Amino acid sequence: MTVITHARRKSRLSKIIDTAGGVSVGKALAQAKANLEALRPRSLQEVSDRVAELERLAPPSTPEEGVERLAIAYRAANGVIDSAGPFDLDDVCKVALGLCDLIDAVTPTRPFDWRVMPVYAQSLRLLLLLPADASAERAQVRASLDHMVDVKLAQS
Amino acid sequence: MSHGLAEALRESAVINLTGAVTMVVDDSPFGLDITASALLGFGIKTRYACPSAAAAMEILQDQAIDLLVVDSEMPDVDGYGLVRWLRRSGLDPNAFVPVIMTAAHVRRSRVSEARDCGANFVITKPFSAASLLERIVWVARDSRPFLEVGEYFGPDRRFRAGDPPGEERRGDVLRRARFEAEKQAAASAAAAETGE
Repeated sequence: MTVITHARRKSRLSKIIDTAGGVSVGKALAQAKANLEALRPRSLQEVSDRVAELERLAPPSTPEEGVERLAIAYRAANGVIDSAGPFDLDDVCKVALGLCDLIDAVTPTRPFDWRVMPVYAQSLRLLLLLPADASAERAQVRASLDHMVDVKLAQS
Repeated sequence: MSHGLAEALRESAVINLTGAVTMVVDDSPFGLDITASALLGFGIKTRYACPSAAAAMEILQDQAIDLLVVDSEMPDVDGYGLVRWLRRSGLDPNAFVPVIMTAAHVRRSRVSEARDCGANFVITKPFSAASLLERIVWVARDSRPFLEVGEYFGPDRRFRAGDPPGEERRGDVLRRARFEAEKQAAASAAAAETGE
């Protein structure tokens, strides 16, 4: 196969970053964290809205409906990770990631087990309600879901 | 982290990103706000905040940008499609612009697409402000040549040969190992019970 190599030109970004002025990395990070912190209340609302979408998803009655609802669930779970991401809601993100993994593992011979959808929705809701310092309870929710994902995916 | 990058990210190191013409593409309005807020902290005012790949393509045809931050999951044309189009667009200098792709979850069927679309780096969410800044500095200093190989056009994908450094972090490998360990433990317990 032919390989054509274009010598790397210095991007404008690489020149800009070293120009005079600017801020220290420490200040930039502190400002970014402060900016993100202002979005925390909206983040929690967004995550709650995405969880509500999961809660509303009933098992499908036809295969076509199943494909459509799984796409909705996948988008909602992605939305949970998007919205919760920078706000120290790691366990919420990991639970949503587990649901994405399960949906992604669906094949024609291994359909999605719709019994897990309410389990995920309720677990995410519970994690949103539990106080941040309820580490043992939060870990227990995570562990039981992780185990379920392990069992379901390890056999693939 | 390479020594050079670690040095560039010292708390006291100074960076100037205020002049960087930046485009953020995400179909989620809140996702756009999160990325733009973090960038603003670094001194980057997002010039173009696009809710779709189509809106981004229109701007990219006419306006030169210095940095593109794009989400992978979007309806219609997704982030991979947008970057592939950009790299093959022949637009100068945009076809060579540093691209950071963000992804909440990468489907197994799309891992190769994530690798082959031509992005300089894919960041998986959740990401912190620090990891985003680290990657911006990284792509700014990225000196890999661009390659055209078959359908691929983008930065050289070869980083280094050999296994990934550090402890195993691949989810499927870890999951299988845990599952096998549990199976083994259950089999041992059953054997002990039956006195075999």
